[in-house]
Amino acid sequence: MKYFRLFVAITIVGLLELTSCSQEPSRQTPSSAIYTDDIGRIVQIQGIPQRIISLSPSNTEMVYALGLQDKLVGVTSYDNYPPDVKNKTVVSDYSTTDMEKIVNAKPDLVLADSIQKNDTIPALEKLGINVYTMTPGNIDMFFNNLKMLGRITSKTKEADNLVSNLKSRVQAVADKTAKLTDLQKPRVLFVTWHDPIWTAGSETMIQYLIKQAGGTNIASDLKGYATITLETAVQRNPQVIIVMNSMGTQNISLDFIKSNNQFKSTDALKNARVYEIDADIFGRTTPRIVDGLETLAKLIHPELFK
Amino acid sequence: MNDQNTDRKQSTIMINNHNESVAHKTVRELPAYSSRRFLRVISISGLMLACIIISVLALTVGSVEIPFKTVWQILISHLPFVNLRGDWSSTTDMIITGIRLPRIFMAGAVGTALGVAGATYQGLFRNPLADPYLIGVAQGAALGAVVGFVLPLTFGGSYLIPILAFLGALAAVSIVYLIARVGRTLPMTTLILAGVAIGSLLISITAYLTMISANKVHGILSWLMGSFSISGWDQLRLISPFLAIGLVVIFLYSRQLNVMQLDEEQAQQLGINVERTKIILLVSATLITAVAVCFVGTIGFVGIIVPHIVRLIWGPDHRLLLPLSAIAGAILLILADTASRTLMAPAEIPVGVITAFLGAPFFLFLLRRKKKAVF
Amino acid sequence: MGKLEIQNITLDYGQCPVIKDLSFQLRPGELLGLVGPNGCGKTSVIKSLSRVLFPRSGRILLDGKELTRISRNELARLIGVVPQNPYLPETFTVSEVVILGRNPHLRLLSGESAKDMAIVWQAMERTGITHLAKRRIGELSGGEKQRVTIARVLAQEPQVILLDEPTANLDICHQLDILDLITSLCYEKTIAGLIAIHDLNIAAQYCNRIIMLKNGQIHAEGTPEQVVTAENVREVFSANVTIYRHPENNLPMVLLNGNHRQQKYSSKEEKVVRRFIPDHS
Repeated sequence: MKYFRLFVAITIVGLLELTSCSQEPSRQTPSSAIYTDDIGRIVQIQGIPQRIISLSPSNTEMVYALGLQDKLVGVTSYDNYPPDVKNKTVVSDYSTTDMEKIVNAKPDLVLADSIQKNDTIPALEKLGINVYTMTPGNIDMFFNNLKMLGRITSKTKEADNLVSNLKSRVQAVADKTAKLTDLQKPRVLFVTWHDPIWTAGSETMIQYLIKQAGGTNIASDLKGYATITLETAVQRNPQVIIVMNSMGTQNISLDFIKSNNQFKSTDALKNARVYEIDADIFGRTTPRIVDGLETLAKLIHPELFK
Repeated sequence: MNDQNTDRKQSTIMINNHNESVAHKTVRELPAYSSRRFLRVISISGLMLACIIISVLALTVGSVEIPFKTVWQILISHLPFVNLRGDWSSTTDMIITGIRLPRIFMAGAVGTALGVAGATYQGLFRNPLADPYLIGVAQGAALGAVVGFVLPLTFGGSYLIPILAFLGALAAVSIVYLIARVGRTLPMTTLILAGVAIGSLLISITAYLTMISANKVHGILSWLMGSFSISGWDQLRLISPFLAIGLVVIFLYSRQLNVMQLDEEQAQQLGINVERTKIILLVSATLITAVAVCFVGTIGFVGIIVPHIVRLIWGPDHRLLLPLSAIAGAILLILADTASRTLMAPAEIPVGVITAFLGAPFFLFLLRRKKKAVF
Repeated sequence: MGKLEIQNITLDYGQCPVIKDLSFQLRPGELLGLVGPNGCGKTSVIKSLSRVLFPRSGRILLDGKELTRISRNELARLIGVVPQNPYLPETFTVSEVVILGRNPHLRLLSGESAKDMAIVWQAMERTGITHLAKRRIGELSGGEKQRVTIARVLAQEPQVILLDEPTANLDICHQLDILDLITSLCYEKTIAGLIAIHDLNIAAQYCNRIIMLKNGQIHAEGTPEQVVTAENVREVFSANVTIYRHPENNLPMVLLNGNHRQQKYSSKEEKVVRRFIPDHS
């Protein structure tokens, strides 16, 4: 009798073992790797992604920068660089994604932005699609993202080359501005909108760029992207004013600043040092941000950068 | 005096003889509720059938072209005991059953909730302008959602925003209720005023929070305008029990709602426990509205328009008005959602915009229809 | 069977008591008239009898049971109230409103049966509104709406009917019809009826007993002959009237005197007054 019970127990255990074996999820095969993305999600990717979807313009530019455009099967409607991207299928308009089109494109990697973490990313996860989020907050994170993307897509060489190239260009600018004293660093006001005045404070890429380019951000006491009153902005007497705008559209904020009576008393307006910069370059964290840094350096220190 | 008594006796006799003919006339003029069941069943099942047909049609359209026959085959292949293999890819199957179908169900569920809640609020407040967001549900949900966007909270995973929106909605209504309550009674006009006041306060807090988090504005705006784009089966599983309970309770009180259309004193004299009925209906309607709004954002006009349309066609009896508002609400929102995802694909027009587009002309139509009072 | 006992009730809406220490009885088969000047508390009494207003002290017994011990639903089956200015939903049809009167008799999930409908129809017949059955409330006149409410209460089949100025908006024919209806109900179905009314003549003609209230207390109680007297009218209403006896049934009738306060006019005013009241003396 007791052997019978033993026999039953073994059978049950054996059956359980078998079922758990068949239920075992993706075993780690030698060709799959685990990554942690920018919002802390664990992403497991098998093999080399062949069909990539990008859900933000900066991610798209990074894909092109690493030479992966042939594998790009989905972009957003805001993507506009490089011009070739117009031929790609649009699957999202940056805040609402078209799930059908994404699924239909059969991607094995979706590059998302943290802004989508509440809705799109969980939805994609539930459909079993790999999502890797890239939201670099500063330039070091950005270089890291490039390297990560290179690793994931097996383009490590291209990524490393690109990163070292960009780093040396950044260094070239820094070399020239590092020797400047505080007095030599002009006070810079950065503006994205005028009513109220939206500017960039500490912990933003813009602040970093201004610093690297040899300027002092007059809004550095504010945190993140914030508003500043007209009086405060004028009182801090900026020597250089940079207004960001989408190229090709009328720069209303620039017109406002140039014609405003209070601003007329600032050094920037007295010396006609009000400049316009491209939102596509400065608003996105892409390889072109280094172009932006060089442009900014030329605007702030024309005497140092020819 | 004696003459009076004789007169009285005579009239009694007349009344007694009358009784026999009453029965015949009554059946003709005033059929019993039970004998009108046929009409009710026809109306409800007819509308239900329309809903199913519209849903199936909605299933066949989308930003990815899938032929009608394939959709049909995929649907049938998922029925139990059916073994049908076809030439469609698993991607196509996923699009139909994993994206479009839950989305349609979600639109239907939210439409049902808003239609019934709107009809209930209109009946409770005896006001044709009442809608489910009258006493702060929308404003509370919006604030809860924005708090979830802005603060670095991590509990709940992808359900963080819906949970906060739900709690926000309930909290807002509770505050409004506590302010409006007078002793053991709940005067309805005070409730509306408190709702407006608290609602404005919540809106301003929401606006402030939105303003100071510039990088989240896009996401917040999307949520506020309402969208079904990320509907999934798990969300439906979560909201179904709340929705079911709320709907059942409200339907049980349909006849009481009829009686409540008289003033509160008369309703009380007809045996209705007015205060208790008010609270139960308010809680149920608020519950289903909160649960509808928390995943999808606030979608306007459905709660106001649908009950009026149903009332125009079928009359004010809540025993028919409520179930028909449920189905009509589902139909309207499924249509609106289908339009929102196909008119400008792959971009989505927010559903709230489409319902507003339908709502404005409808209100004008209502205003011009003075001959037959709608409420 | 519908016997109401009111024992020493005091009613107030906050500080000032409207009714002080009031006691009376309402017996089945009789129509009791409640008369008194504006604001004397007639409506408050009716509200307290239908449990809308709770007495600060004293108790109300229906068939020996305290009103507060009776469930709301059961109370609705026993007591029906025709309020003074009831709100009626504009888009309901007349029959839909009268049907609401059956609510206390219906269980939670049941609809109205054929028997219920027969009662509703009968109620509409008795109030003479069957030709309005399918019309909407919004299209009716004030008098028709009043009859709808009365029909609704009749559909309730109560044992006690409380009416607050039920004849206010009705023309004389309908006034008398309604009063005949109520008295016949009281008599044939032995319902107890309480009617709060302005018109002393109607009260005298139709009520078995009359209670005249003054300042929240009973000033006079008894048969019409006992209560409707010139002194009572002067003391309670501050009006000088003449009481005459109806030639056919000998019930008291109030005859109005023009210029009842007997004011003195100046000669100029006399001329004006004389033009309008030729026989003024």
